[in-house]
Amino acid sequence: MDPNQPVGENYANPRTCFFHVLFKAAALAFYILSALFIDNFVIIFVVTVLLAALDFWVVKNVSGRILVGLRWWNEINDLGESVWKFECLDHESLARMNKKDSWLFWWTLYLTAVLWILLAIFSLIRLQADYLLVVGVCLTLSIANIVGFTKCKKDAKKQIQQFASQTIASRFSSTLQSAFSVV
Amino acid sequence: MSHSDTIPLHPSSQSDIDEIENLINASVHQSVPSARPPSPPRASIPVSVSVSTAPSPFISSNLPPPPPLPKSSVSAVTPSPPPPRPGIATSGFGPAPNTLTEPVWDTVKRDLSRIVSNLKLVVFPNPYREDPGKALRDWDLWGPFFFIVFLGLTLSWSASVKKSEVFAVAFALLAAGAVILTLNVLLLGGHIIFFQSLSLLGYCLFPLDVGALICMLKDNVIVKVVVVCVTLAWSSWAAYPFMSSAVSPRRKALALYPVFLMYVSVGFLIIAID
Repeated sequence: MDPNQPVGENYANPRTCFFHVLFKAAALAFYILSALFIDNFVIIFVVTVLLAALDFWVVKNVSGRILVGLRWWNEINDLGESVWKFECLDHESLARMNKKDSWLFWWTLYLTAVLWILLAIFSLIRLQADYLLVVGVCLTLSIANIVGFTKCKKDAKKQIQQFASQTIASRFSSTLQSAFSVV
Repeated sequence: MSHSDTIPLHPSSQSDIDEIENLINASVHQSVPSARPPSPPRASIPVSVSVSTAPSPFISSNLPPPPPLPKSSVSAVTPSPPPPRPGIATSGFGPAPNTLTEPVWDTVKRDLSRIVSNLKLVVFPNPYREDPGKALRDWDLWGPFFFIVFLGLTLSWSASVKKSEVFAVAFALLAAGAVILTLNVLLLGGHIIFFQSLSLLGYCLFPLDVGALICMLKDNVIVKVVVVCVTLAWSSWAAYPFMSSAVSPRRKALALYPVFLMYVSVGFLIIAID
């Protein structure tokens, strides 16, 4: 309306945002709608769980690193221990990340988990153990991504603080050196 | 007069020179650890990687990034994708190249090649039977997930009535069974990684999946019994070295018997459902 109002910031990666939301919405919609219209449990289970697994993979490997610059995985080192690996962009690149992309990423992660929890409560109320199996699998995948990216984000903040400390120390020594060279 | 004035300045000047040299050395020493490792020459955003050791309760389907290519072999205009990494990961020297800016297709190829290499460890003779800890070092849960769903689908298709119950029972039996077997090994004081064990037990279902498919196509009971016995022996043979090495020799039977029992119950499901 107002011509002087600045144009709002658009999504930097609309296609990635679309796929980030698509599989979540598809899994939830298929589960809810098929519970109303389809009576075949096997079809409901297979399609819903496959969509949830596909969503897990896309969020973890694609949209996580494109929308918020984070990535996480787990591997086993030569000593036979389980090791967490986190990757994040450096400080300048993280600052350049689109705020709307990041907002959409985190909110859809939490919203999906909340919805699956609600559906689990409904399955419990209706005493449907088999549908609880579907919701349990989807909820496990959703929470796994939330915890993984939360840990990754904390690790990214820790790295940024270390980088800032090193920068300050480097500037301090540089200042001392230039002062003594003047003398 | 002038001679006496110049004498006290000399030690002060010397100490200043020493201090400047110390500062130069200190700054040189400080700049070494803060230097960022060189990244492969391509149009990419610089990233940093960190490692923290922690118990992993979550699903992971990533392969570690492939070893960096020699710089001379990489074209500056169009960087070629790195070759897919062999299944068993070896901790390479130097910093791992980033995977944050790789194309999506590289990620897909890496995951698929890992699933294939993990499947080979189960289907073909295990080259790591002497050191089973190295088997499925790059664990993933995609293969086990697919095999459990496939087995459930096959059994539910074979069943004439109560398809939903058959599928739910098969899935719950296999999923909970794998978890219980892993906890059994942990409670026996074995040294095992939770998700690596889940991954191995899931991959060892592949022969039973093939057996279930054959039994679905053939209705002869004798053929079913023979096929299930062969695939059951195969699955047990594939799982044996890993589970047996995880616990002490005196408790080996306690760790192996439940695994065999789970596979026997799956085999019984395959034969009985008609």
